Amino acid sequence: MDRHALHQPSSSSSIPATANTVWADASSLLEAACKDLRDGELIHGENFNLYAAMSALEIMDPKMDSGIVNRYCSFDEAIEDGVAPVPISSDKTTDVQCMIDIMDYLLTCEATWHKGHSLAQTVFSCAYLLRPERTSSHALLHSYCKVIRATCKAVITVVSDARTHEEEDLFTMAYGLPLSGDGDEKCLSLLNAVEENISRQLRACKAPSSKRKPLEDIEPLQTNSDLEEGYCKALLCRLRFRKHFFHVLTCMRRPQGRGLELARKHIASCISELGIILKSAEFLMSNAYGTCEDGTEDRTTASGHQAIGFDASLNSRISAPTPPRSIKILSWKKAIEYFEKLLHDLDIICSYPLDPSLEVLLRFVAQFQKAQPDLVARAHLQLLLVQDGKLYGRCPMFSLIIRAARLPEVFLHHDIQKNEYVVQLGQLVINMLKILCTNAAWQRRKLGKILQDWRVIYVQIELAFRKEFGEGSSVSNGENASARILKHILIWVEEQTYWISHRFLVLGFELELYSPSEYCMVYWYLYVVLIRLAEKTHLKMTVSDGSAKQKGKKRKDSPKDLARDTRIPPAILFLQCQICLAEGLTLLHAALRNELMVLQSPSPFNSEHERFIQHFELLQKACIPDHISYPSFKESTSCARFSTLVMYNYFKDAQNIAKEVRSGFSNDPDRLAELRVLEQVAEHNSIALNVICQVGALDPSLKVSFEFIHHPCFATVVVKRS
Amino acid sequence: MEEEMEISSSTQATESSSSDIVSRARKLLFRRMLVGIKDGRFFLGSFHCIDKQGNIILQDAVEYRNTHRSSPSPMEQRCLGLILIPSSCRTSCHVDCSIEEQLSLLKFQ
Repeated sequence: MDRHALHQPSSSSSIPATANTVWADASSLLEAACKDLRDGELIHGENFNLYAAMSALEIMDPKMDSGIVNRYCSFDEAIEDGVAPVPISSDKTTDVQCMIDIMDYLLTCEATWHKGHSLAQTVFSCAYLLRPERTSSHALLHSYCKVIRATCKAVITVVSDARTHEEEDLFTMAYGLPLSGDGDEKCLSLLNAVEENISRQLRACKAPSSKRKPLEDIEPLQTNSDLEEGYCKALLCRLRFRKHFFHVLTCMRRPQGRGLELARKHIASCISELGIILKSAEFLMSNAYGTCEDGTEDRTTASGHQAIGFDASLNSRISAPTPPRSIKILSWKKAIEYFEKLLHDLDIICSYPLDPSLEVLLRFVAQFQKAQPDLVARAHLQLLLVQDGKLYGRCPMFSLIIRAARLPEVFLHHDIQKNEYVVQLGQLVINMLKILCTNAAWQRRKLGKILQDWRVIYVQIELAFRKEFGEGSSVSNGENASARILKHILIWVEEQTYWISHRFLVLGFELELYSPSEYCMVYWYLYVVLIRLAEKTHLKMTVSDGSAKQKGKKRKDSPKDLARDTRIPPAILFLQCQICLAEGLTLLHAALRNELMVLQSPSPFNSEHERFIQHFELLQKACIPDHISYPSFKESTSCARFSTLVMYNYFKDAQNIAKEVRSGFSNDPDRLAELRVLEQVAEHNSIALNVICQVGALDPSLKVSFEFIHHPCFATVVVKRS
Repeated sequence: MEEEMEISSSTQATESSSSDIVSRARKLLFRRMLVGIKDGRFFLGSFHCIDKQGNIILQDAVEYRNTHRSSPSPMEQRCLGLILIPSSCRTSCHVDCSIEEQLSLLKFQ
């Protein structure tokens, strides 16, 4: 009893009590005390707070305790147990097979990481990566590990520099992971040496034995001569893919987009090597040793065999106190698909001609985002667009603004660029460009927030303009350059504000934020915003044309010139087409509600007015547009009737405009494609409208729905008999 | 009179479990406690709370573990903050105290 009482915990030598105290066994006392407690009673101090206690980490709960001793107490113990042997196998063929499996699994881990999981659980679950010194005796493994680490580091740097990864914040977490191994920058030279060696081995095995010169008699890759060619090729395509991928990353990071052309060549090589990697699967699967994973579609390596040396729990203690959520590593096939898409997206970025026009740039970014590129591609785009506070690292924001406002180039060096509001405006443009490179959800939220900033800067510039130049709105030729610049800038700022609002509304469709009963108000608001956008864009064009004309020599305007002047530019007509579509959809939806009592807002929780405020609060706060509110919406739509709709068919108008403006975009395949789609939507909706008008009121079995089968924003009205 | 006293003492018992044993356990609050668990780890922290089932909460806890299963081996440690150790996984529980106190704790063996 005494001995038991004086028993110190075995760890007491390393966990000493203080100098004058000892560890005393309290378990019996506590057990007795617990017996005396009533149900639900706690022993606690005065500072105890049950709510705070709820946040305690529960030991031995796998979701909360990342230190549970599983198989190994530590990394060293795991290594001693043979988790990651070097060499992987004493048999050279097995060693090569395992090496390929490791390469494949690292690829799937990398793709999983890119998709939004932590580095520690994915790529760095590989024990070989965690201690760089261990692999130095195995040239292939060593060089491959180096290039993986260097690649991960490069990708993390890109995403960190872009600093828009807040929603994917797991991505850059690399605490305690050996990302900068010694000499990793020289990884490519090592890789090249290994590649060269294997190429020689490949040549040697392909050459008929009679022709083999003694000089070329090098040691084969592995022991089975029948499989030598297959394994050499399988290794080579994987090594080459890594080499080219690393080059893509370094080329794309070169300042001012100088490396984009070269990057494209490496991207092409990557894609071709990926194709060869895919083809190698057949050979690898048929020669795999041991048992294969169930289900060849889900396999994480080409051969189907599980890779050696991976254990995510080995570095779990390096991470935060709580364990990360469990993740599923992608399949090998899906990983290859991911990289194919990534390379494709990067290629689009690299082929962008770095146009100094903001208009062209905004269209490019919007088009690029339609393909839903992932984080890595988007980060690269952002870093290309905004470097050192300049566009592409070379165009100052002021010059971008001058061109966007359609001012002549002579103003590019005007002193007004030092004006505090103009400088601020430049910052707003940079911020907007960065936001446009983020994912749709984040983007929409941020775009909504910056609307207020754009409104404020408009007001500030307008006040400054009025203070200095009075109320006169005449833009006299060369009289006062500052006045002219500010005037143009004001118009452009309004246009840009409406452009942002338009994008904000449209992204809501992509994110499925609107319920069908709300389409009426959404299309109505879109209609209102589009009208203003068209107004401001047209104003900007006519004001700049007007000033340009005044500068020209005085001559009699020929009828041709007059005709040209009165013709509406294609860009405006494009907007006009969308305006008609939006108006048509608004009134059709309203008429369905008013006459057929369908598509009502059924929610007992909030009224239509409340929903209106919820959706458009940010726009309303920024007064975009002015004097537009829920009552104006009600006014515009409460009288919508099919009888009036059929008389003035907005969809027919949209169709006609779309046809007419096609010639104006002959050089722009993207816009032509969109026009075609808008025309389709208009045509379908026009027919649907006629059907409803003729049959609707009489036939209660008619079901009308709004489907996004052609265009992601403008719905196609589908009429069915239920 | 005696009846009254009896009643008042019983009400006192139901209001707060102020048994002698529980009071002594209460004295251990905020003291450094070393709890060992089934997988071989130890947790050192301030004794914050215990419930009837014997689940213990430690504050400012540090986790100690051997780097190799077979002791002796150097220990790694990690700060965890506020933790709850379920009684089901607890294998030992020691409190930091003076030699005199240890003797009094002995009475409960």
